[in-house]
Amino acid sequence: MTTLSRYLRVWLASARYSLVRTMMFRGDLFIWALVELFWISVNVLMIEVVYSHTSTVAGWSKYEMLLLAGTSMLIQRFLMGFFWSGIFEMGRNVRSGAFDFFLAQPGDPLFMASTRKLEMDGLLNSFVAAGLVVYSARKLGLHPGPSDLALYACMVACGVVIHYSALVMSMSLSFWITSSQGVEGSYFTLMEFSRIPREAFSKGLASALFVWVLPVVVVSNAPARVMLHGFEPSWALGLCAATLVWFALAVAVFRSGLRRYTSASS
Amino acid sequence: MLKYRHAFVVGLQSNLVYRWNFAARSLFSIFHLVFIFIFWGAIYTGSASIGGYGFAQTLTYFVALFVLQFFIGAFNEDYQISEDIRNGLINQFLLKPINYFAYRLSVFASARVVSGALGLVALGAALPFFRGYLVLPHDGWRIALGIPAMALTALIQFSIAYCFGMLAFWFLEIQGFVILSMAVETVLGGQFFPLDLLPPAVFRAVSYLPFYYQAYFPTAILTGRIGLPAAARGLAVQAIWAAVLVCVAEAVWLRGLRRHTAAGG
Repeated sequence: MTTLSRYLRVWLASARYSLVRTMMFRGDLFIWALVELFWISVNVLMIEVVYSHTSTVAGWSKYEMLLLAGTSMLIQRFLMGFFWSGIFEMGRNVRSGAFDFFLAQPGDPLFMASTRKLEMDGLLNSFVAAGLVVYSARKLGLHPGPSDLALYACMVACGVVIHYSALVMSMSLSFWITSSQGVEGSYFTLMEFSRIPREAFSKGLASALFVWVLPVVVVSNAPARVMLHGFEPSWALGLCAATLVWFALAVAVFRSGLRRYTSASS
Repeated sequence: MLKYRHAFVVGLQSNLVYRWNFAARSLFSIFHLVFIFIFWGAIYTGSASIGGYGFAQTLTYFVALFVLQFFIGAFNEDYQISEDIRNGLINQFLLKPINYFAYRLSVFASARVVSGALGLVALGAALPFFRGYLVLPHDGWRIALGIPAMALTALIQFSIAYCFGMLAFWFLEIQGFVILSMAVETVLGGQFFPLDLLPPAVFRAVSYLPFYYQAYFPTAILTGRIGLPAAARGLAVQAIWAAVLVCVAEAVWLRGLRRHTAAGG
């Protein structure tokens, strides 16, 4: 408990620092919030364009698809808001030797490196993504109860952990390769799949890989299905298991990379 | 020309240093093709024809776009240019008889040779799975117009990236602008969906913007989504945009230099 509260205090101090820093560069906050908002709009536009030519995609209607996209964006905005900057800079810091800074701190290096900065623009736009989910749910005439909403929130949290783990693993490659520049693109490429309904994956290699091995489909489909169909034990258990496995893998890969880190300073 | 040839060769060598990065990126980009295949496959389960095109034609469009982006797309040139400005590295170009735009264009060309080659490797790996779905038209004029369209697309992409890199003269941090422009370019360039799926009036309006010529136009020529008259007219508009953007790039450079302070000894 003491350890938990100590980490909470460290995180709160980082959050305060990030907030102060954001307020110092308000123009930057505006631009980045606009960027995030624009990307959300782009995804919505794509769904609008597609559904202007068809009425269903893998059996999903337009508003079901918007609900799925909104859930996927909500998870990504939380990732962007809470962890993106820290993990993204990890690659550069490992290359330059600046990662020493995190090793010298009294705490777990992964926690220290990945939670140091909060991006307020991502957190602000999480409201837009949540708004999209609420709008779609209303259009579908859904009335989820408190337990459904609590379960949805838990599943979104699991999704954030899985995204976090995938990103940590991508950026940990910087311990092995000369430059990790552009490696984060692999994370974004994989996460594209979270906008696709599970039903689009027919049985086969793609289904095995993207639904079961890489939980990129489950991560957004499981919470969206809670809103659409209520509690489904197989999806909930599947997501929980994937969260544990991916987080354990990310920690193992990061620690293995850290053993190779030799610093670059004099 | 000799100095730019040397810049090209040096650029080639420095890009080869990061060949594993390019290789990893091209390998992961196969996942993007898989995404396209599954996503658009799901869309076509609800309708056999979308915007007058079958699944094979749409898949061909995205595969062609995928390959073209490796050869003519600007990836992080804006960031490199902004770093040159921020770190004062452009000072050396001010003292030498070398045109910075031409130098950067040479380095861009060398980077595209390396990324294009690795893109072809990625395509080669993915081709056995997609071959049955690819339907390329055989009209000779498509190659004849497609090649200059690709060259102009590369120039347009580079010029836009160059202009965004130049923003470092005015702003400390330009990544926000770059990502914002990337979002606009991705949508209006036809990378999210073929632009002809837009309502006709919107599509017509978009065809006058430079973004239309950043990816959609050469891809549409090569994959049979536009006819000869539209391609010929588009090539003329594209040439005008390329000329305008090169002039804007030069103007921004000259304007930026007025603000530049070369410090240090």
